[in-house]
Order: sequence, then structure tokens, then C-alpha cells
Amino acid sequence: MEKPRIPVDLIVAKLAEDAEKARVRAQKASDVLLQELETEIAPTPYEILYEEDRVKLKHYRPIVPVQYKHPLLVVYALINRETMLDLQPGRSVVQSFLQYGIDLYMIDWGYPSRKDRYLTIDDHVSGYMDNIVDFIRERHRMPKINLMGICMGGTFSVIYSALNPHKINNLVTTVTPTNFDTDQGLLHIWMKTVDVDRMVETFGNMPGDFLNFGFLMLNPARLMIDKYVGFLENMDNKSFVENFIRMEKWIFDSPDVPGETFRQFVKDGYQKNLLIQSKMRVGGRRVDLKKITMPVLNIYGKYDHLVPPGACERLTGSVGSTDVEDVCLETGHIGIYVSSKYQKEFVPKIVQWLKDRDEGRQIFAAGRSASKKTAVKRGLKKTVSP
Amino acid sequence: MTDNRNAFADSENLLSAWIKTASDFWGSMLQSWPQTETDRAGSAASETDNKEKSRSRESFETVLKTWQTLSSVAGDTGAMEAVSNLGHVMPDVLLKMVRATWQGVFNLQQQWIEKAGRIGQSTQAYSFENLDEEVFRAWTDVYEKEFRQFFYTPQLGLTRTYQEKFNQAADKFNRLQAVFGEFMTIFYMPIEKSFKVLQDKVAKMAETGELPEDYNAYYRLFIKILEGRYMTLYKSPEYLSVMGKTLTALEEFLMARETITQDVLKGLAVPTQKDLDELYREIYILKKKIRKIEKKQ
Repeated sequence: MEKPRIPVDLIVAKLAEDAEKARVRAQKASDVLLQELETEIAPTPYEILYEEDRVKLKHYRPIVPVQYKHPLLVVYALINRETMLDLQPGRSVVQSFLQYGIDLYMIDWGYPSRKDRYLTIDDHVSGYMDNIVDFIRERHRMPKINLMGICMGGTFSVIYSALNPHKINNLVTTVTPTNFDTDQGLLHIWMKTVDVDRMVETFGNMPGDFLNFGFLMLNPARLMIDKYVGFLENMDNKSFVENFIRMEKWIFDSPDVPGETFRQFVKDGYQKNLLIQSKMRVGGRRVDLKKITMPVLNIYGKYDHLVPPGACERLTGSVGSTDVEDVCLETGHIGIYVSSKYQKEFVPKIVQWLKDRDEGRQIFAAGRSASKKTAVKRGLKKTVSP
Repeated sequence: MTDNRNAFADSENLLSAWIKTASDFWGSMLQSWPQTETDRAGSAASETDNKEKSRSRESFETVLKTWQTLSSVAGDTGAMEAVSNLGHVMPDVLLKMVRATWQGVFNLQQQWIEKAGRIGQSTQAYSFENLDEEVFRAWTDVYEKEFRQFFYTPQLGLTRTYQEKFNQAADKFNRLQAVFGEFMTIFYMPIEKSFKVLQDKVAKMAETGELPEDYNAYYRLFIKILEGRYMTLYKSPEYLSVMGKTLTALEEFLMARETITQDVLKGLAVPTQKDLDELYREIYILKKKIRKIEKKQ
């Protein structure tokens, strides 16, 4: 008997089999969803050492003796929350840093209210950030600290380092947009066309939910459909459900963005691309990237749809430092911080890089890393394989 | 002709006589008023009542005097003739009035017909072969060209500003609905097209006997196609244009709604968002100044 072109019998048999599996799964899922779930995020203990308006400085309690001279300050973006770095035990950038003996500080930007709508980038960078950096410097009696920025927080860190190079020992930027003139990411295409003045006039602060909706719209197939199909397929798995809920908690915990900051970020960044050209002005001062003379480690994701490589990779070629390194990881915007695979690569890379510089050694990156990366040293690009 | 003249003379006399009788009657009524009023004043009527009576009497006197003036004029032969001529002229006047009114209604109707005709012209610009794709765009266009201006007709009177704001909000809401429909249509397109592509691919796989047995494979294929379609759509100038229009419409509606809310809150003596924003700005500037001074110290 000839084999039919369309294996209808097999498809139907598979359907029937899966229908039974789905029934069993639904039964189990009901048990899972009705029991107590561990969905707490940001469980690592910390204390608040500094507060100014809505902004807080978290200091994480070391779990091993501190092994580095310079403390590390992490600056998260104003979009979403810094809790992403401490989603759960075993998938926590914060805990990984602590395990390596880093003295870790992190800025919690809080939830801007309507009264914060007039706060500019200058207020965040030369106001809150500068006060916090000074606080840490005084606390440790050190002239300089290490600074690590994430996404928009990375952009703030770049601006801060250019304006205050004497206060920063090493700069680490992760998924940080500095070159906005790229058509690799949809955000870069869309933002060029929006009337940001009218947006800010209408909303005051940019509503977090509105921004989140925009992010979902970037990939509806994956973020609105496939993600939840995946949940349905695994909802009988307690551990999966807990992780999923943690991620949902983080992703939809979206503070509003102060209106004036959003306006300047879109205008000077996405629409005029001033930062990478060293033409951006913050608080009346020009942000000259050539003044960034401290070592710079620039990490970004190859498949980042929000801040694509094109938005990140020009930074190291534009700063004044002679010790720069680019690391392109084969993952997306969030995967760098939360995927189990990159947990094993991302933090150790930063820690080692900081350690080399903390001890006064400046080892140029090319040929050193165990991961697949692109290393840049003053315009000299090398692709390094494991 | 002679009959007509006689009839005219009779009607003239009749009108003259009626006016005289009426004049005499109301004249004597007026004369009798003071007596009645005095009698009442003598009784327990209050002062306020008297004032009211005086006002009534004044009004009555004014009317009567006007009547007397008119009737004295009416006594004049020429005037009577002119009044009598009304009988001949009246049909013409009425006809002219009716004609003017009719013309007005007709013009209005014609304007509406023209508008309706233009709706057709507007929609012709879109080929209705792709009805569901074009219909929202066409409706937006028709609304903007033919209906929108009704919300911007000048408002009159004390409440004109409020009415104007309300009309504007209504217009912005309508526009948002229209543009949002257009947005949803374009947003739905990749789903529709992905199904078509999936069908084609499945047909091809069926031809070559490569159909997957696991139906999940079809789903994964669909999601992959859908993702690609959205990426293509999102980069297209059409999408950027519709997205821009939708955002603008949303923002304009929210702003229009805010102005109405502000009026309501003002009436309730509750601070408006604008009031608060002004206050926040002042606080912001003050805080900045204080921090600057603190840093200098």
C-alpha cells in the first residue's frame, strides 16, 4: 500500500494523544495554580543607605568577604525596575556579584509621580546620581568608584562618566544605547517619527503601561501569543510557573518615566543622535565622550531587539579611553541578565575585567576571553572564538 | 371692478368703525382703573401690591396709548387704503416668504446631497476590491471631509466656550475611533496574510509529502511567519503613517477630554491638573535653587 502524502491518520492520532495529555496537564495545572507558589522577586537582602525624593540607594549585604578595592554602583534604566537583576536565587546577577566578593550598590529610581514630570536627564545624572556617587565615595573614603549602567541607565552612566571622569574608576555599560542612528531596531525607527512634545504635553510623565504596550507591540507574535501558549503548555510544571510569574511581575511593574527626561532622551537621542557625536548638552554642559578616559567594558546582545548591536557598538570607538572592550553575547535584551546560560558568562566576565583593573593591571581584551566575542581596542577589531 | 371698489369701501368703513369702537371701549376701561385701584388702596392692600398694580396699570396704559395712536392713524383715509391693499398684496408676501423658506430648505438639502455625492467621490479614491482594508481609511477620510466641520460651527451665548470644548472632544473621539479602526485593520493584516502563507506552505509540503505529523509544527511555522510579517509591516511607511495618526488622535482626544475635566473641576473648586502642574513646576524650581545653595555651602 502506497504511503499517503498527507499523514492524516498520524496527525489525528497525535491530536488524540495530545488531547489526553492536555486533560492531564489541565488537572495538574489546577493543582499547581491553587497551591502556594514562590514568586517573590528581589529576595536578596539589602539596606537603604541613602534616600533623596523617590530615589533610594540599595547596598547589598556581602555574603563573602569583599575582595575588591572599589565598590560597584549599578545604575538601572528608568523603564521597568532594577529587580530584574535579582529575579530569583540561581538567576540573580546581584547574588552572583556578591558571591564574587563585589561590594555592590544599586540605585532604585522608585516610582515617579506627576510632580516629577519636570525632572530632566541633568536632574538624574548631575543630581541624584552625582549625590549617590559622592555618598559612596565618602563612605569608602575613595576618590573613585566603579560604575555599571544598564540600558538607559547605561546611557546615564556614559553621560555621568563624561562629565565626572575624576570620580569613576571603571565603566561597564550593558545593552546601552549610545548611537541612536540605526535602523536595526524598530524602536529606533518608530521613535524618529513620534511627536514627543505632544506626547509629554498630553501625558505629563510617560505612563509605564503605555510604554510596556509599545514594547509588546514590537513583537506581538512572540510576546502576546507564543509566550502564553508556552505557559499553557507548561502550566503543570510548578517551577516553570513560578519563574513565569516572576518574569510577569517584573515586566509589568513599570514606573512612569518623568516627562522632561523622556522628551530629551527621545529628542537628543533617537531623533538627533547627539550623544555619540559628543554634541549632547546636559545641564548646560557638553557631553564630550573623549573625556571618558577610564577603562570601558561594553556588553550587548546580538539578538537584542530593543537596543540592537548597532546602537551599542560605536561607543568604544568614540570614547577617549585607551582601554576598551566590546563583548557581544548571542542573546537578547533581557537574556543577558536572566538566562541560565549567560548567568555563567556575564557576571564572571565583568568580575574578571574589574579584578584586572582593580589590581592596577590593564590587560587588553583581545584574545583573553573564553567566550565568543568581538574585542575592540582603539578601533582594532578582532573576533575571538572560545 | 366696480364691485371690487364697493367691497373695498365697505371693508374700509367696517375696519374704521371697529377701530373706533375698540378704542372707546379700552379708553373707558382705563378711566375706570384709578377708581378701582383707590378702592383697593383704601382697603387692606399692602404697599407691595399697590406697586404691582401700578406696574400693571402702566403697562396697560402703554398698550392702550399705542392702540390709540395706531387707531388715529388708521382713521386716516390713505392709511386705511394701504391697510386694505394688504388683502391684495398678502398672497404675494406670503408667496415670497414661502419661496424664501423653501429655497433655504432646498439649498440645505442640496448641500447634503452634494456631501453625500462627495462621500462617493471620497470612497472612489479607495478601491473597494479590498473592502475591509479600505473601508476604515475611507470612513476616516469621509468623516474628516464631510462631517467634522459640524463640530466646529460657531457656538453662541453664555455657554459657548463650554459647548465648543464639548464639541471638540466629541470630534476628537470620533476621529480616534475612525483612526483606531484603521490601525486595527492594518495591525490584523499580518495575521490574515500569515494564514494564507501557511496554507500555501502546507499545500507545498503536502505535494512533496513532507507534512509534519506533529500539529505543533504547524503552530511553530505559523508563529515564525507571523513574526516575519509583523517585522515587515512595522518597517513600512504605511504602518508608520497609521501609527503616527493613531497616536496623534489619541493624544488630541485626551487633551480635549482634559479641558472638559478642568472646567468641571473648576466648578467644583477642585484643583485641576494644570493647577497642580504649575505648582509642581514652582516646587521643582525652588528645590533646584535650594540644592544649588546647599552644594555651595
